[in-house]
Amino acid sequence: MDKKQREFKVLLVDDEDIFREATARQLSVRGFIVLTAESGEAAVESIKTDPPEVVVLDQQMPGMHGSDTFIAIKAIDPLIEVIMLTGNTSVDNAIEMMQMGTFDYLMKPINIDELLYKIEDAYTRKKLNEKQQREAKQ
Amino acid sequence: MATILGNLKQLFKELRDRNVADQPGNPSEMSALFRFRYTLFKELLAANSELLSVLSDMDEKLKGETVFGLSYITNQVNKSLRSAFQMVKNLNVMSSGKHRDLYAALEQINDRIKAIIEERKAEHAPRAVMSYEHILLKDADWAGGKNANLGEISNRLHIPVPEGFAITTKGFHDFFEYNDLKEAIIKQKNLLYVNEFDLLNNLSAETLALVRSKPLPPELAEDILAACAGLWGDDQSVLVAMRSSAVGEDGDISYAGQYLTLLGVTRSAICEAYKSIISSLFSARSIAYRSSKGVYDEDLAMAVACLKMVDSRVSGVLYTRHPYDITNEHILINAVWGLGPYAVDGVVTPDAYTVTKDAGLTLQEKIVATKPVQLALHAGGGVGEQPVAEDMQNIPCLNDDQIRLLAGYGAALERHYKCPQDVEWALAPDGQLLILQSRPLKIQNPAHSGLPKAVPLKGYPLIVDNGEIASQGVGTGVAVHVRSMEDLADFPEGGVLIARHSSPEYVMVMRRCSAIVVEAGSVSGHMAALAREFNVPTLICAHLLDRIPPGMEVTVDAYSGRVYAGTVIELLAAVRKEEAHMKGTPVHDQLQRIAKHVTPLNLVNPDAPEFTPLGCATLHDLARYCHEYSYKEMFQISDLASKFHGWSLKLDAALPMDIHLIDLGSGLKESAMTKWHAVKIDEIVSAPFQFLLQGMLSKEVHGLEPRPVNFSGLLSVIREQTLTPGHIGDRFGDRSYAIIADKYLNFSSRVGYHYSVIDAYCGNTISKNYITFTFKGGAADDIRKNRRVRAIARILDQEGFRVGVKGDKVDARLQKYPKSYIESRMDILGRLLIFTRQLDMLMTTEHSVEWVADNFVAGNYKLTAPPAEA
Repeated sequence: MDKKQREFKVLLVDDEDIFREATARQLSVRGFIVLTAESGEAAVESIKTDPPEVVVLDQQMPGMHGSDTFIAIKAIDPLIEVIMLTGNTSVDNAIEMMQMGTFDYLMKPINIDELLYKIEDAYTRKKLNEKQQREAKQ
Repeated sequence: MATILGNLKQLFKELRDRNVADQPGNPSEMSALFRFRYTLFKELLAANSELLSVLSDMDEKLKGETVFGLSYITNQVNKSLRSAFQMVKNLNVMSSGKHRDLYAALEQINDRIKAIIEERKAEHAPRAVMSYEHILLKDADWAGGKNANLGEISNRLHIPVPEGFAITTKGFHDFFEYNDLKEAIIKQKNLLYVNEFDLLNNLSAETLALVRSKPLPPELAEDILAACAGLWGDDQSVLVAMRSSAVGEDGDISYAGQYLTLLGVTRSAICEAYKSIISSLFSARSIAYRSSKGVYDEDLAMAVACLKMVDSRVSGVLYTRHPYDITNEHILINAVWGLGPYAVDGVVTPDAYTVTKDAGLTLQEKIVATKPVQLALHAGGGVGEQPVAEDMQNIPCLNDDQIRLLAGYGAALERHYKCPQDVEWALAPDGQLLILQSRPLKIQNPAHSGLPKAVPLKGYPLIVDNGEIASQGVGTGVAVHVRSMEDLADFPEGGVLIARHSSPEYVMVMRRCSAIVVEAGSVSGHMAALAREFNVPTLICAHLLDRIPPGMEVTVDAYSGRVYAGTVIELLAAVRKEEAHMKGTPVHDQLQRIAKHVTPLNLVNPDAPEFTPLGCATLHDLARYCHEYSYKEMFQISDLASKFHGWSLKLDAALPMDIHLIDLGSGLKESAMTKWHAVKIDEIVSAPFQFLLQGMLSKEVHGLEPRPVNFSGLLSVIREQTLTPGHIGDRFGDRSYAIIADKYLNFSSRVGYHYSVIDAYCGNTISKNYITFTFKGGAADDIRKNRRVRAIARILDQEGFRVGVKGDKVDARLQKYPKSYIESRMDILGRLLIFTRQLDMLMTTEHSVEWVADNFVAGNYKLTAPPAEA
């Protein structure tokens, strides 16, 4: 198992306690700093006070849906990368979300290592985008 | 909200247009970026394989010989859409959104398919319990394939089957709805990580307990008990066998024994047994198996077959004709004492009876084997091996009348289903012969069928004996070698296409050719799918071209995997048009309509103007497009390497160039990663790179002294360098880069004044393997450049590549070959890279093109002087 310490924050948003806690545990063991939120609304509040680099976001949630949460997150900080997770088999929403700019769209059940790599890749892209923006401003 | 969305889209567009992801700054970013792209590429290739296997399965079902239901369609459609989405998504992420129109194309196809599926979902629901006298094949959707078949056999053919009834998918859905279970179960499944076994086991245990704790709806329980009473009255001694009857999932899953089968169930225990069987959908093993096969819980449904147990005296298997010798139409019967499994699993040698399909069903051959043991029902339930009484061991299991009766059933089944059948049968204690199962006879690989190989036909020279069958059938005609696209233009009507490699572009002549035989390719590849669609008999067989010269008359038997010289009349006469019983059913019609948006391949030529995202009319087109451009994206990874000056490992090898390594993962031994030293050759694990280096370091080319330089050649090189200073040199600086993983290599190199890029994948999955190679630039004048390019093209062509030349650039490609062949081509490319150093110096005459190329291919690398002009 990859135990290297990663110095960036991942926010995990899922209404299912078991899934959220199991995933948080797995990611912590692998060296990520993990924040969690049990709803879209809670995620938005959390991002305002303690912004993460990458968000792992469940699509099907009661209240604020994954798609709406995604839009709200990007309105706060467009550079935060979002990985969507879904238990749905249809690709309708997947196509729309990719076109809107989610970093990736994974369909459950997923492999924890695959998720780990995706989070790292999302972090890489965020750093590149930030650098690009800094250079553009100078 | 709309404004936010609009702003967001604008922002993303700007970010994309600036191509931010392609401009990394430091080594760790660069390294992460390489890995990122490579992962996307590997996922894309995996999705492509997945999609192609769905396509070939759909083609197979479209033949109409196999029973399937609506759930099969929705499941396969979901699978193919998800694979296509994965490909479109990954190509776009790899390329920073260069192919975004693919999303629109996918959306359109998705909408069309969904509309067709929705039409039929609304159709009426059946009853929850149906006895066999009310079931026909058309009920497969809710009764499952096994139940529907038995009902059809009993009610349409009036052939005896075991007594029993089906609990349909309506029963399944009623149970889940009554107890409000479906949502909970889908939700639980989504909690899983596929490789977290503790979590999997816990959730599985919870789900199993949940399902078993719930009661059957009272109406369902009443219906089940009423069905028993209707069949067996008050007789409580009847024992029942209960098993799943596949509906949604691939037939393979139930064959693979994933679901619970209960034998010897008493009537009073049937309702509880039913719950046990449907809850076996949620065993840890079944969940893991389904997710590995891409079956989704939304489509989950199970029908259950409840059959009166038969304590068979004799049982066995019947083939209504020889599985792969199409000239042999006889019925073949195997028989053993006791229960069926021993007839097929090789524990005892069964009796073998051969019956001719004439009016009297003549018993042509009767081989009686010694059968010392049998499988039998234990009195208290379960089965076990028992000795066969000595006086029974060497006598036939069936008498002649029974053999003929059984053969008659087989012939009737074949007539009814309009295709050869594979039948399981049993002789009940009361002397009645029963059919337990009948399905289309399909043995793709003769070597694994367990049957002896058919004897080749006499009187015709056998050219190929062990071809892999990509599309079944028989075809005869004159052999036509196809080496390039131009050869397709005047392909003669009825010719047999012979080529080194499979290509979807052969579709252009598929209506004209009578068979295809290629040296390399995959039976689940694009071309094989097209061949099945067009019904062209197709074989894949190595070392073919030399054995079948152009103009030779051949017959291709794509049942036995053989090619004969001449026209084999016996084979042609044996070919029958097989009509299929599923054709014309609503579910087949629906699959046919959906398949129009899934399986056809319109984008065959990457250079054609319609090879665009919006030219993709089907999922197959999307896959082809993404596949093609994913190579281009990976190929261009070397452009990034040129910006990568800071960090890499250097290769320690006696080569005339510096090679720097970037490991994407598992390309090097760990020892190479932990020390900051130059990497030794034996620390390289990457298969394609190992073999490239083997070629580059081979004594024959590596030992070359610089060539004696022809004076005018040298002048030309010097002049050209002065005129265009550093033009090519800028591209890679002075370094060569090898970006590696265990099965992958992207190698960009500068040797002398030329540059070349090799991109290769080399693993055990044939369909993923490929090499692309580009060679360009260099000093020397245009004439010499052109000669050099033609010499290299000639070499690559002879070494098995598909080659294109544009100006002073050669593009070569090769794909879907076995690992060993890819390795051997990497070795050749390694030699070629070294050989091409200062090749220009030798290009003094027109003659030198052929001379240089042919010497290289012959292994003569030490060339001193070009031949004089003729």
